[in-house]
Amino acid sequence: MTSMKIDDAGPVAIAGCEAEGRHSLKDVCLFLSEYASWLLGSGATCIRLERNVNRMAAAWGCEAVMTILPRHIHMTVALPDRADSYTYIIATRSMAISFDINTRLSQLSWAIADGKVDFASAKERFSEAVGARGADKRLVLLLAACANAAFCRLFNGDWQAVAVVFLSTMAGYYLKQVMCEHKADMRVVFIVCAFVSSVLGATDALFHLGSTPEIAVGTSVLYLVPGIPYLNSFSDMIAGHYICSFSRFLHAVILTCCLSIGLCGGMLLMNMGMF
Amino acid sequence: MIMDFLQDAFFAAIAAIGFAAISNPPKRAYLYCALIAAIGHSSRFLMMHDSLLGLHIVIASGIASLIVGVLAVLISPLAHTPAETCLFPSLLPMIPGIYAYKTFGGLVMCLYHGAEGEFNHYFYLFVSNGLTCLFILLGMVIGATIPIFIFKNISFQATR
Repeated sequence: MTSMKIDDAGPVAIAGCEAEGRHSLKDVCLFLSEYASWLLGSGATCIRLERNVNRMAAAWGCEAVMTILPRHIHMTVALPDRADSYTYIIATRSMAISFDINTRLSQLSWAIADGKVDFASAKERFSEAVGARGADKRLVLLLAACANAAFCRLFNGDWQAVAVVFLSTMAGYYLKQVMCEHKADMRVVFIVCAFVSSVLGATDALFHLGSTPEIAVGTSVLYLVPGIPYLNSFSDMIAGHYICSFSRFLHAVILTCCLSIGLCGGMLLMNMGMF
Repeated sequence: MIMDFLQDAFFAAIAAIGFAAISNPPKRAYLYCALIAAIGHSSRFLMMHDSLLGLHIVIASGIASLIVGVLAVLISPLAHTPAETCLFPSLLPMIPGIYAYKTFGGLVMCLYHGAEGEFNHYFYLFVSNGLTCLFILLGMVIGATIPIFIFKNISFQATR
Protein backbone atom coordinates (compact mmCIF):
# COMPACT_ATOMS: atom_id res chain seq x y z
CA MET A 1 0.00 0.00 0.00
CA THR A 2 2.72 2.39 1.03
CA SER A 3 4.97 1.54 -1.88
CA MET A 4 2.14 2.26 -4.33
CA LYS A 5 1.72 5.67 -2.81
CA ILE A 6 5.42 6.28 -3.06
CA ASP A 7 5.47 5.36 -6.72
CA ASP A 8 2.56 7.73 -7.30
CA ALA A 9 4.15 10.53 -5.33
CA GLY A 10 7.63 10.56 -6.84
CA PRO A 11 11.11 9.29 -6.34
CA VAL A 12 11.08 8.80 -2.55
CA ALA A 13 11.53 5.19 -1.45
CA ILE A 14 10.25 3.56 1.72
CA ALA A 15 11.93 4.87 4.85
CA GLY A 16 15.07 2.93 5.56
CA CYS A 17 15.22 1.42 2.07
CA GLU A 18 17.81 2.18 -0.55
CA ALA A 19 15.99 1.16 -3.69
CA GLU A 20 17.79 1.39 -7.00
CA GLY A 21 17.91 4.99 -8.22
CA ARG A 22 15.94 6.14 -5.23
CA HIS A 23 16.61 7.67 -1.86
CA SER A 24 14.99 6.98 1.44
CA LEU A 25 12.84 9.34 3.46
CA LYS A 26 15.61 9.32 6.03
CA ASP A 27 18.16 10.47 3.43
CA VAL A 28 15.88 13.29 2.35
CA CYS A 29 15.28 14.39 5.92
CA LEU A 30 18.99 14.35 6.79
CA PHE A 31 19.86 16.24 3.64
CA LEU A 32 17.18 18.87 4.22
CA SER A 33 18.20 19.24 7.88
CA GLU A 34 21.82 19.80 6.96
CA TYR A 35 20.75 22.21 4.22
CA ALA A 36 18.53 24.15 6.63
CA SER A 37 21.27 24.32 9.24
CA TRP A 38 23.75 25.82 6.76
CA LEU A 39 21.24 28.18 5.15
CA LEU A 40 20.10 29.62 8.48
CA GLY A 41 23.70 29.84 9.68
CA SER A 42 24.71 31.75 6.56
CA GLY A 43 22.25 34.51 7.46
CA ALA A 44 19.10 33.63 5.49
CA THR A 45 15.70 34.72 6.72
CA CYS A 46 13.20 32.15 8.00
CA ILE A 47 10.81 32.67 5.11
CA ARG A 48 13.58 31.93 2.60
CA LEU A 49 14.54 28.82 4.54
CA GLU A 50 10.96 27.54 4.56
CA ARG A 51 10.43 28.20 0.87
CA ASN A 52 13.70 26.59 -0.21
CA VAL A 53 13.18 23.48 1.92
CA ASN A 54 9.54 23.05 0.91
CA ARG A 55 10.50 23.47 -2.75
CA MET A 56 13.05 20.66 -2.56
CA ALA A 57 10.80 18.39 -0.51
CA ALA A 58 7.99 18.83 -3.04
CA ALA A 59 10.38 17.96 -5.88
CA TRP A 60 11.21 14.70 -4.11
CA GLY A 61 7.55 13.88 -3.57
CA CYS A 62 7.30 14.48 0.15
CA GLU A 63 6.34 17.19 2.62
CA ALA A 64 8.66 18.95 5.02
CA VAL A 65 7.62 20.77 8.17
CA MET A 66 10.09 22.67 10.34
CA THR A 67 10.20 24.23 13.73
CA ILE A 68 12.89 26.89 13.56
CA LEU A 69 14.32 27.55 16.99
CA PRO A 70 17.13 29.95 17.82
CA ARG A 71 19.81 27.26 17.99
CA HIS A 72 18.12 24.20 16.49
CA ILE A 73 15.93 23.16 13.61
CA HIS A 74 13.39 20.44 14.12
CA MET A 75 12.70 18.86 10.72
CA THR A 76 10.02 16.33 9.89
CA VAL A 77 9.71 14.89 6.40
CA ALA A 78 6.61 12.86 5.58
CA LEU A 79 5.03 11.16 2.61
CA PRO A 80 2.05 13.05 1.18
CA ASP A 81 -0.42 10.53 2.65
CA ARG A 82 1.44 10.60 6.04
CA ALA A 83 2.01 6.84 5.70
CA ASP A 84 5.58 7.34 6.84
CA SER A 85 7.66 10.12 8.25
CA TYR A 86 11.14 10.82 9.58
CA THR A 87 12.15 13.45 12.12
CA TYR A 88 15.57 14.90 12.86
CA ILE A 89 16.75 17.72 15.10
CA ILE A 90 19.88 19.55 14.02
CA ALA A 91 21.86 22.35 15.63
CA THR A 92 22.04 25.54 13.60
CA ARG A 93 25.53 26.18 12.28
CA SER A 94 27.35 28.94 14.06
CA MET A 95 29.26 30.79 11.34
CA ALA A 96 29.90 34.19 9.83
CA ILE A 97 27.23 35.57 7.54
CA SER A 98 27.85 34.47 3.98
CA PHE A 99 25.56 35.62 1.20
CA ASP A 100 27.65 33.55 -1.19
CA ILE A 101 26.63 30.31 0.53
CA ASN A 102 23.07 31.64 0.83
CA THR A 103 23.00 32.29 -2.94
CA ARG A 104 24.52 28.93 -3.86
CA LEU A 105 22.10 27.04 -1.63
CA SER A 106 19.13 28.95 -3.02
CA GLN A 107 20.27 28.15 -6.56
CA LEU A 108 20.60 24.50 -5.57
CA SER A 109 17.02 24.43 -4.30
CA TRP A 110 15.75 25.68 -7.66
CA ALA A 111 17.94 23.26 -9.56
CA ILE A 112 16.37 20.42 -7.56
CA ALA A 113 12.86 21.83 -7.95
CA ASP A 114 13.31 22.13 -11.71
CA GLY A 115 14.57 18.54 -11.93
CA LYS A 116 18.03 19.59 -13.15
CA VAL A 117 19.90 17.57 -10.52
CA ASP A 118 19.17 14.20 -8.95
CA PHE A 119 19.61 13.39 -5.28
CA ALA A 120 23.22 12.21 -5.55
CA SER A 121 24.24 15.27 -7.59
CA ALA A 122 22.39 17.51 -5.14
CA LYS A 123 24.51 16.17 -2.31
CA GLU A 124 27.67 16.86 -4.30
CA ARG A 125 26.57 20.37 -5.18
CA PHE A 126 25.64 20.98 -1.56
CA SER A 127 29.14 19.98 -0.44
CA GLU A 128 30.64 22.28 -3.07
CA ALA A 129 28.40 25.17 -1.98
CA VAL A 130 29.22 24.97 1.71
CA GLY A 131 32.89 24.36 0.98
CA ALA A 132 33.21 27.45 -1.21
CA ARG A 133 36.10 29.66 -0.15
CA GLY A 134 35.26 33.13 1.03
CA ALA A 135 36.83 36.31 -0.27
CA ASP A 136 40.49 37.03 0.46
CA LYS A 137 40.76 38.25 4.05
CA ARG A 138 43.20 41.03 3.24
CA LEU A 139 40.85 42.34 0.56
CA VAL A 140 37.90 42.23 2.97
CA LEU A 141 40.00 44.08 5.55
CA LEU A 142 40.86 46.81 3.05
CA LEU A 143 37.27 47.13 1.81
CA ALA A 144 35.88 47.26 5.36
CA ALA A 145 38.33 50.04 6.25
CA CYS A 146 37.40 51.95 3.09
CA ALA A 147 33.70 51.48 3.88
CA ASN A 148 34.02 52.87 7.38
CA ALA A 149 36.15 55.77 6.15
CA ALA A 150 33.50 56.52 3.51
CA PHE A 151 30.88 56.28 6.26
CA CYS A 152 32.82 58.94 8.19
CA ARG A 153 32.75 61.20 5.14
CA LEU A 154 28.99 60.66 4.76
CA PHE A 155 28.59 62.01 8.31
CA ASN A 156 30.50 65.15 7.25
CA GLY A 157 33.78 64.14 8.87
CA ASP A 158 36.83 66.04 7.54
CA TRP A 159 39.65 64.27 5.67
CA GLN A 160 41.78 63.94 8.81
CA ALA A 161 38.87 62.13 10.48
CA VAL A 162 38.48 59.93 7.40
CA ALA A 163 42.16 58.93 7.60
CA VAL A 164 41.94 58.21 11.34
CA VAL A 165 38.80 56.12 10.86
CA PHE A 166 40.45 54.19 8.04
CA LEU A 167 43.41 53.26 10.24
CA SER A 168 41.35 52.53 13.36
CA THR A 169 39.04 50.28 11.33
CA MET A 170 42.02 48.49 9.79
CA ALA A 171 43.40 47.74 13.24
CA GLY A 172 40.05 46.79 14.78
CA TYR A 173 38.87 44.63 11.90
CA TYR A 174 42.23 42.86 11.67
CA LEU A 175 41.95 42.07 15.36
CA LYS A 176 38.43 40.77 14.77
CA GLN A 177 39.67 38.45 12.02
CA VAL A 178 42.46 37.13 14.22
CA MET A 179 40.21 36.60 17.24
CA CYS A 180 37.54 34.89 15.12
CA GLU A 181 40.22 32.56 13.72
CA HIS A 182 41.04 31.61 17.30
CA LYS A 183 37.33 30.97 17.95
CA ALA A 184 37.08 33.68 20.58
CA ASP A 185 33.64 34.43 22.03
CA MET A 186 31.90 36.94 19.75
CA ARG A 187 30.93 39.17 22.67
CA VAL A 188 34.54 39.43 23.78
CA VAL A 189 35.58 40.12 20.18
CA PHE A 190 33.14 43.01 19.97
CA ILE A 191 34.28 44.55 23.26
CA VAL A 192 37.98 44.29 22.41
CA CYS A 193 37.64 45.50 18.81
CA ALA A 194 35.40 48.43 19.78
CA PHE A 195 37.88 49.36 22.50
CA VAL A 196 40.88 49.29 20.15
CA SER A 197 39.09 51.14 17.35
CA SER A 198 37.75 53.84 19.66
CA VAL A 199 41.16 54.39 21.29
CA LEU A 200 42.72 54.81 17.83
CA GLY A 201 39.73 56.88 16.67
CA ALA A 202 40.28 59.23 19.61
CA THR A 203 43.76 60.15 18.34
CA ASP A 204 42.08 62.71 16.09
CA ALA A 205 41.09 64.63 19.23
CA LEU A 206 44.27 63.78 21.14
CA PHE A 207 46.64 65.25 18.55
CA HIS A 208 44.19 67.94 17.34
CA LEU A 209 44.40 66.62 13.81
CA GLY A 210 41.11 67.89 12.47
CA SER A 211 37.93 69.74 13.32
CA THR A 212 35.54 66.76 13.60
CA PRO A 213 37.09 64.46 16.23
CA GLU A 214 33.71 63.34 17.61
CA ILE A 215 32.72 62.02 14.17
CA ALA A 216 36.03 60.13 13.98
CA VAL A 217 35.40 58.40 17.31
CA GLY A 218 31.72 57.77 16.65
CA THR A 219 32.37 56.29 13.20
CA SER A 220 35.44 54.25 14.13
CA VAL A 221 33.32 51.45 15.65
CA LEU A 222 30.44 51.42 13.17
CA TYR A 223 31.85 48.49 11.17
CA LEU A 224 30.85 46.38 14.20
CA VAL A 225 27.15 47.35 14.14
CA PRO A 226 25.24 44.07 13.57
CA GLY A 227 23.02 45.50 10.86
CA ILE A 228 22.13 42.24 9.13
CA PRO A 229 20.84 40.47 12.29
CA TYR A 230 18.63 43.51 12.95
CA LEU A 231 17.26 43.44 9.40
CA ASN A 232 16.75 39.66 9.49
CA SER A 233 14.98 40.03 12.81
CA PHE A 234 12.46 42.43 11.32
CA SER A 235 11.99 40.27 8.25
CA ASP A 236 11.27 37.23 10.46
CA MET A 237 8.79 39.29 12.44
CA ILE A 238 6.84 40.23 9.31
CA ALA A 239 6.82 36.56 8.29
CA GLY A 240 5.40 35.58 11.71
CA HIS A 241 8.52 33.79 13.00
CA TYR A 242 8.39 35.59 16.32
CA ILE A 243 10.68 33.30 18.32
CA CYS A 244 13.44 33.49 15.73
CA SER A 245 12.83 37.20 15.27
CA PHE A 246 13.12 37.87 18.99
CA SER A 247 16.19 35.67 19.26
CA ARG A 248 17.99 37.45 16.43
CA PHE A 249 16.98 40.82 17.84
CA LEU A 250 18.30 39.92 21.28
CA HIS A 251 21.54 38.62 19.79
CA ALA A 252 22.00 41.90 17.90
CA VAL A 253 21.19 43.93 21.02
CA ILE A 254 23.77 42.00 23.06
CA LEU A 255 26.44 42.61 20.41
CA THR A 256 25.49 46.29 20.32
CA CYS A 257 25.85 46.45 24.11
CA CYS A 258 29.30 44.83 23.85
CA LEU A 259 30.24 47.37 21.20
CA SER A 260 29.07 50.16 23.53
CA ILE A 261 31.09 48.77 26.45
CA GLY A 262 34.25 48.71 24.32
CA LEU A 263 33.57 52.21 23.03
CA CYS A 264 32.93 53.51 26.54
CA GLY A 265 36.14 51.91 27.82
CA GLY A 266 38.15 53.41 24.98
CA MET A 267 36.76 56.87 25.56
CA LEU A 268 37.35 56.68 29.30
CA LEU A 269 40.94 55.62 28.70
CA MET A 270 41.48 58.50 26.32
CA ASN A 271 39.66 60.84 28.71
CA MET A 272 37.46 62.00 25.87
CA GLY A 273 34.19 63.82 26.57
CA MET A 274 31.10 62.69 24.75
CA PHE A 275 29.87 66.15 23.80
CA MET B 1 24.97 71.09 -4.53
CA ILE B 2 25.64 68.83 -7.51
CA MET B 3 29.13 68.09 -6.18
CA ASP B 4 27.69 67.28 -2.75
CA PHE B 5 25.13 65.02 -4.38
CA LEU B 6 27.77 63.18 -6.40
CA GLN B 7 30.05 62.92 -3.39
CA ASP B 8 27.19 61.48 -1.34
CA ALA B 9 26.47 58.86 -4.00
CA PHE B 10 30.15 57.99 -4.38
CA PHE B 11 30.86 57.49 -0.69
CA ALA B 12 27.64 55.55 -0.21
CA ALA B 13 28.76 53.21 -3.01
CA ILE B 14 32.18 52.73 -1.37
CA ALA B 15 30.54 52.05 1.99
CA ALA B 16 28.15 49.53 0.43
CA ILE B 17 30.99 47.64 -1.25
CA GLY B 18 32.88 47.43 2.04
CA PHE B 19 29.88 46.32 4.08
CA ALA B 20 29.00 43.83 1.35
CA ALA B 21 32.53 42.39 1.60
CA ILE B 22 32.01 41.73 5.31
CA SER B 23 28.95 39.58 4.53
CA ASN B 24 30.78 37.64 1.80
CA PRO B 25 28.43 37.95 -1.20
CA PRO B 26 29.07 36.50 -4.69
CA LYS B 27 31.53 38.73 -6.60
CA ARG B 28 28.93 39.78 -9.16
CA ALA B 29 26.81 41.35 -6.39
CA TYR B 30 29.34 44.05 -5.44
CA LEU B 31 28.55 46.27 -8.40
CA TYR B 32 24.80 46.04 -7.85
CA CYS B 33 25.21 46.81 -4.13
CA ALA B 34 27.23 49.91 -4.97
CA LEU B 35 24.71 51.06 -7.55
CA ILE B 36 21.68 50.57 -5.31
CA ALA B 37 23.37 52.21 -2.30
CA ALA B 38 24.42 55.21 -4.40
CA ILE B 39 20.89 55.71 -5.71
CA GLY B 40 19.30 55.17 -2.29
CA HIS B 41 21.62 57.38 -0.27
CA SER B 42 21.75 60.20 -2.81
CA SER B 43 17.96 60.16 -3.10
CA ARG B 44 17.79 60.63 0.67
CA PHE B 45 20.27 63.49 0.32
CA LEU B 46 18.05 65.17 -2.26
CA MET B 47 14.88 64.64 -0.22
CA MET B 48 16.49 66.20 2.86
CA HIS B 49 18.07 69.14 1.05
CA ASP B 50 16.51 72.45 2.11
CA SER B 51 16.35 73.85 -1.42
CA LEU B 52 14.43 70.79 -2.64
CA LEU B 53 11.95 68.84 -0.50
CA GLY B 54 13.50 69.54 2.90
CA LEU B 55 12.05 66.36 4.39
CA HIS B 56 12.84 65.20 7.92
CA ILE B 57 15.55 62.52 8.10
CA VAL B 58 13.09 59.89 9.38
CA ILE B 59 10.67 60.28 6.47
CA ALA B 60 13.48 60.66 3.93
CA SER B 61 15.19 57.51 5.24
CA GLY B 62 11.93 55.56 5.03
CA ILE B 63 11.28 56.60 1.42
CA ALA B 64 14.93 56.07 0.41
CA SER B 65 14.87 52.59 1.99
CA LEU B 66 11.73 51.78 0.02
CA ILE B 67 13.57 52.80 -3.15
CA VAL B 68 16.53 50.62 -2.12
CA GLY B 69 14.18 47.70 -1.37
CA VAL B 70 12.37 47.93 -4.72
CA LEU B 71 15.64 48.26 -6.63
CA ALA B 72 17.17 45.29 -4.79
CA VAL B 73 14.17 43.10 -5.61
CA LEU B 74 14.11 44.15 -9.27
CA ILE B 75 17.87 43.78 -9.71
CA SER B 76 18.25 40.46 -7.85
CA PRO B 77 17.12 38.33 -10.86
CA LEU B 78 19.84 40.03 -12.94
CA ALA B 79 22.44 39.27 -10.29
CA HIS B 80 21.04 35.74 -9.71
CA THR B 81 21.23 36.29 -5.96
CA PRO B 82 18.60 36.42 -3.22
CA ALA B 83 17.19 39.95 -2.89
CA GLU B 84 18.71 40.29 0.60
CA THR B 85 22.23 39.94 -0.86
CA CYS B 86 21.89 43.25 -2.68
CA LEU B 87 19.48 44.83 -0.21
CA PHE B 88 21.21 44.59 3.15
CA PRO B 89 24.67 45.95 2.24
CA SER B 90 23.01 48.74 0.21
CA LEU B 91 20.98 49.76 3.21
CA LEU B 92 23.81 49.83 5.75
CA PRO B 93 25.27 53.22 4.67
CA MET B 94 22.00 54.78 5.81
CA ILE B 95 22.32 53.47 9.38
CA PRO B 96 22.18 56.49 11.72
CA GLY B 97 25.54 55.83 13.36
CA ILE B 98 26.14 59.31 14.72
CA TYR B 99 22.66 59.46 16.28
CA ALA B 100 23.34 56.09 17.91
CA TYR B 101 26.70 57.36 19.17
CA LYS B 102 25.14 60.52 20.62
CA THR B 103 22.36 58.47 22.24
CA PHE B 104 24.94 56.31 23.93
CA GLY B 105 26.99 59.37 24.87
CA GLY B 106 23.96 61.06 26.42
CA LEU B 107 23.24 57.97 28.52
CA VAL B 108 26.81 57.76 29.81
CA MET B 109 26.91 61.48 30.61
CA CYS B 110 23.61 61.13 32.54
CA LEU B 111 25.36 58.65 34.80
CA TYR B 112 28.31 60.98 35.33
CA HIS B 113 26.28 64.12 36.13
CA GLY B 114 24.02 63.93 39.15
CA ALA B 115 23.07 67.62 39.35
CA GLU B 116 19.54 68.14 38.08
CA GLY B 117 20.31 70.76 35.43
CA GLU B 118 23.15 68.85 33.81
CA PHE B 119 21.33 65.55 34.13
CA ASN B 120 18.26 66.98 32.41
CA HIS B 121 20.39 68.34 29.58
CA TYR B 122 22.12 65.02 28.93
CA PHE B 123 18.87 63.12 29.37
CA TYR B 124 17.33 65.37 26.74
CA LEU B 125 20.23 64.58 24.39
CA PHE B 126 19.85 60.87 25.12
CA VAL B 127 16.10 60.84 24.42
CA SER B 128 16.08 63.16 21.41
CA ASN B 129 18.94 61.36 19.65
CA GLY B 130 17.61 57.97 20.70
CA LEU B 131 14.13 58.63 19.33
CA THR B 132 15.52 59.97 16.06
CA CYS B 133 17.80 56.94 15.76
CA LEU B 134 15.00 54.51 16.58
CA PHE B 135 12.54 55.98 14.11
CA ILE B 136 15.14 56.19 11.34
CA LEU B 137 15.89 52.49 11.88
CA LEU B 138 12.20 51.62 11.93
CA GLY B 139 11.58 53.57 8.73
CA MET B 140 14.55 51.87 7.12
CA VAL B 141 13.66 48.29 7.98
CA ILE B 142 9.98 48.74 7.14
CA GLY B 143 10.73 50.53 3.87
CA ALA B 144 13.39 48.05 2.78
CA THR B 145 11.73 44.79 3.81
CA ILE B 146 8.22 45.38 2.52
CA PRO B 147 9.16 45.17 -1.21
CA ILE B 148 10.52 41.64 -0.62
CA PHE B 149 7.12 40.56 0.67
CA ILE B 150 5.10 42.53 -1.91
CA PHE B 151 7.11 41.16 -4.85
CA LYS B 152 7.45 37.62 -3.46
CA ASN B 153 7.41 36.02 -6.89
CA ILE B 154 10.40 38.04 -8.01
CA SER B 155 12.41 38.07 -4.80
CA PHE B 156 12.16 34.34 -4.10
CA GLN B 157 12.70 33.25 -7.72
CA ALA B 158 15.76 35.39 -8.37
CA THR B 159 18.14 32.44 -8.02
CA ARG B 160 16.16 30.19 -10.36
